[in-house]
Amino acid sequence: MRSAGNDIVALKTISTKRTGNKRFYSKILSDTELELYHQQAFGEMPFENFVWLLWSVKESMYKFLKRSIPHLFFCPSKFIVQHIHFPHYVSGIKFTGNQLENTDLCDEDFCRSIIFFENNIFYSRSVIQDEFISTVVNDSENFSKICWGLKSIDDASYENQSKEVRVFILNKLNYFFPNDNLRIEKHPAGYPLLLQEEKEINIPVSLSHHDHFIAYSFIF
Amino acid sequence: MMDRQVILDELKKVLAPYTENKEALNNMHDQTELIKDLKINSANLVDIIIDAESKYNIEIDMDSAEKMMTVGSCIDVITEKTNQQP
Repeated sequence: MRSAGNDIVALKTISTKRTGNKRFYSKILSDTELELYHQQAFGEMPFENFVWLLWSVKESMYKFLKRSIPHLFFCPSKFIVQHIHFPHYVSGIKFTGNQLENTDLCDEDFCRSIIFFENNIFYSRSVIQDEFISTVVNDSENFSKICWGLKSIDDASYENQSKEVRVFILNKLNYFFPNDNLRIEKHPAGYPLLLQEEKEINIPVSLSHHDHFIAYSFIF
Repeated sequence: MMDRQVILDELKKVLAPYTENKEALNNMHDQTELIKDLKINSANLVDIIIDAESKYNIEIDMDSAEKMMTVGSCIDVITEKTNQQP
């Protein structure tokens, strides 16, 4: 399945009190996923970050699958996250500038997980920082053909988030396809399409934005 | 049975904290989409479900919640759940 799926969650905007309420987190986590938090060593990761990590993985999965299943609704319980590998929560990479791209990291820097959806297996790579959690997913363990980037922006109005994430990904794509006059439009089913004039380019793209953070992913 | 217009007006108040698009909120109707038209971030969808549960003293399971993509489907779910109350 050739697709792209990503998500970014701005952690400063979420309510830690509300996230920690069973009524809230039980709509995102299954009992077995909750057990993962208690069974595994997640360093100093607060529970609310674990909840939003799984949200981010599941939202990315929804976007990845929406391209091939346009009628799919987002239901977190349909995606079952297993085998979370969490190497170095505190000592891992630090987001010190205002931008991060796949070339800045190696596979060991990510929080990795395996996701099951209707007997199919998928894989995630997440960057976890104090201010955000950003995830990309794939149907292969090999992420070498996936380009992703994330960035902080000053103006967090919804309109600007949407505008800036498009500029961000097109700047990157223009690096690979100079003078191709690329643009992004939304498919009626809701996922983004990459177009050159009126022709669709066969590069699945995924866009995400939340508060002061924007992120993209695409696959070659 | 609750009137759909009453639920729609109450739903505006539930959704208000999560959208900047006040014009679309004021003019919302059954076909208005929460994410596409009201520009609500998907990360707030669980907040909206919890707020609706509290407002109507109902429980919305995620199988029902997944249908809540438009204002009309939100009203359908709220109506169904309130009608199930003893």
